[in-house]
Amino acid sequence: MTAHADDTAAGEARYAPRPGPNRLQGLLWVAFANAAVLIALIAPAHILVQGVLAPLGLVPSFDRRYATFAAGIGNPLVKIYLLVVIAASFYLAGHRVRYVVHELGVHGKLAVGTVCYGLAVLGVAVAAYLLLTLP
Amino acid sequence: MSNPMRSGEVTEVRLDPPAGGRDGTAVPASARRSRVHPYRQPFTWWLRSRGYLLYVVRELTAVPIALWFVLFLVELARLGQGSGGYHPFTSPVFVAASVVCLAAALWHSFTFLNLAGLIMRIPRGDRDLNPRVIVGAAFGGFLAISVVVAGLLIWAGA
Repeated sequence: MTAHADDTAAGEARYAPRPGPNRLQGLLWVAFANAAVLIALIAPAHILVQGVLAPLGLVPSFDRRYATFAAGIGNPLVKIYLLVVIAASFYLAGHRVRYVVHELGVHGKLAVGTVCYGLAVLGVAVAAYLLLTLP
Repeated sequence: MSNPMRSGEVTEVRLDPPAGGRDGTAVPASARRSRVHPYRQPFTWWLRSRGYLLYVVRELTAVPIALWFVLFLVELARLGQGSGGYHPFTSPVFVAASVVCLAAALWHSFTFLNLAGLIMRIPRGDRDLNPRVIVGAAFGGFLAISVVVAGLLIWAGA
């Protein structure tokens, strides 16, 4: 019975749009747009070098050896840069999956949003912990 | 337009029970709720056309990208094992997974940077800048930034 709670008149009243701008939605979409642009510009280079070319031995990469990896991660600017890129990728995935799941017919907005954004926040927390405590 | 049931995509069937019971007693609020049965898309709507499929694929490109950064976090965690315990991913499976993630990342870059010409309005005199110029600049920036990032990653590992 609860699965169709949103179909009831009470559900309609509960989800009726409030007057004025929805600032939370605005912030979520602004963050999405920025994350999407950042990942579009930066992610392919990381994946190409660190995921394909360097493991095949075609080029060196800073994460192939402990010394270069530790030296790179030891730089505060690199820590901030990596944290921003990783956070953008996790948020981008959480936001897009949230809407795809909704469009595929799962309408529990709050539950789906909590899971998607929650996983993103968890990933960012792990990344922040690793970057701030290593090497 | 005289029949509102035919005007929209949503077909509603309302069953409104009376506010009171036959014997005059109050009916619980849960029983008084009117029910609406909106039209629901079948789960496989995205398989109906190539455009729908490409749309869903575009949206889901973010997942492999995020998963690749999860693998990077695993490498990062291995850094805590010290110089003796650290070992990066080198297996063919990792390279194959990275190729899939790279394809997803490039598709995301292509589709999202293409949108720049659609959503950006840059006034130039009494007209807006040509969208093709905006898209060209976006892809030019993409190539330049990719070269710089790749160069830094390689230089730092040399």
